[in-house]
Amino acid sequence: MKSIKEHLMFMLPLMAMLIGIEFILLFNRVTSSYEEKLKNDYSILVVSKRQLDTPFLRSVNEKIDSVEPMDRESIAKEVTSGMQDSAMVAIMKDLPYFFRIHLISYLSLDELKKIKSQLSAVDGILNVEIFGENYHSKHMMFKLVKMILNVFIVMLFIVSLLLVIKQMEVWQLAHKERMAIMEIFGAPMMLRSGILFKIAFIDAFIATVLNIVLFIYIKNRWAGTTDISFIKENQDLLLNISDFLVLFITAIIIVAVSVMSVAIKSSEVPEG
Amino acid sequence: MASVISAESLTLAYEKGKNLIINDVSFTIEQGEFVFITGPSGSGKSTLLKSIYGQIKPSKGTLNVGGFNMKKIKKTQLLQLRRNLGIVFQDYKLINEWTVEKNVVLPLIITGYSLDVQKVQAEKLLSHVKLADQAHKYPLELSGGEQQRVGVARALSKNPFMILADEPTGNLDEFSSGVVWDLLENACDQLNATVLVVTHKIPTIFNIPYRHFIIENGGVHEVH
Repeated sequence: MKSIKEHLMFMLPLMAMLIGIEFILLFNRVTSSYEEKLKNDYSILVVSKRQLDTPFLRSVNEKIDSVEPMDRESIAKEVTSGMQDSAMVAIMKDLPYFFRIHLISYLSLDELKKIKSQLSAVDGILNVEIFGENYHSKHMMFKLVKMILNVFIVMLFIVSLLLVIKQMEVWQLAHKERMAIMEIFGAPMMLRSGILFKIAFIDAFIATVLNIVLFIYIKNRWAGTTDISFIKENQDLLLNISDFLVLFITAIIIVAVSVMSVAIKSSEVPEG
Repeated sequence: MASVISAESLTLAYEKGKNLIINDVSFTIEQGEFVFITGPSGSGKSTLLKSIYGQIKPSKGTLNVGGFNMKKIKKTQLLQLRRNLGIVFQDYKLINEWTVEKNVVLPLIITGYSLDVQKVQAEKLLSHVKLADQAHKYPLELSGGEQQRVGVARALSKNPFMILADEPTGNLDEFSSGVVWDLLENACDQLNATVLVVTHKIPTIFNIPYRHFIIENGGVHEVH
């Protein structure tokens, strides 16, 4: 019973750290997907006296992906609805060209403003509308949530690491005599601490597997039934196969660092 | 003969400059010698032994052990030196979670010998200390005398150039003490190991020549 409790005292903070890391991975994926969606749904509106094409606009700014001309006739029809046909002809004659410009990636507001000023300087372009505030406010909110989450995860990570090291010290105390005897007979630190490494690696593996099982459950069961639309929309992003490797390597690094820190501190050999 | 231990104006203290245990002593010990170190309780016998295996550093003077200057010895060198020593303790210092067999070959495990070599050496040593039938038991299942024989077997397992024994018979009855003295005598006589024994009492029957140091009031005097 005591042994199970000791293992849980090590595994729970380790799991908390791994959950934190999984959240960071998840949020990075969601952010990328959100930015991709923003980029796809977004376009800059350009009003021009002359025809524009993609190669020309790319020479103005390389972040421009494509140019899509808007149907002038439908615009003219809307403007002249209820008027005589001659009005339509006259408007078509003077109506400028309208274009939607798509970008290669999600850009910041500053970059959008830069594109606007570059396009505005092109001869024949009458107006450029970037819809910057709408485009940006949602993303800024998203980034703020992400930053708060990251700060929270870093704090959780630090507290959990201290708990892991504390538990390692408890184990070190339990095996102190054995380690001291081995040291007297000349065992190097890695061999003396072998027992700690063994216990910690097994627990690290179990903690990683439990974490993955938890996220598999969240992805396949909980996310499908939840009312939170954000999670429902991003269900596929909740877990990647590569996460197992990332979490396991992270767990091993955490374990190695905490075992080493305890083992170095406990050495009774005087400094040379 | 080559000297394996040489002390020159050696001073040992638990706090630098304070609580002097051994004060300004000089002596040399040659390869293959058997040395008894006696003295009253708290006189510094065990401290001297600890300084020889590097648990305590000299405060002043020099102490050379097996070619290493113990004042300047580096961690890796100290571990290397310890791998070539055999150490016997009054409280045995066996690993209670390990079998007798595994305890005996601890120095071989540390040095990285193969399992086959470990097994052969364990059988040989346990039969030498008359514990062949106890190989798979755990230390706490043995009597004090048997545990100390395991301790001596462990000390001999790598044919060390020097054996340090701190009150090896302090907790033992007369029979077990006799067995331990025989084993240490043989190690010196047949393996040419230097043996340093800290003890309260030199055994009355001892079959090989020996030197005798008395530690008293911080000094070390040899009895001729």
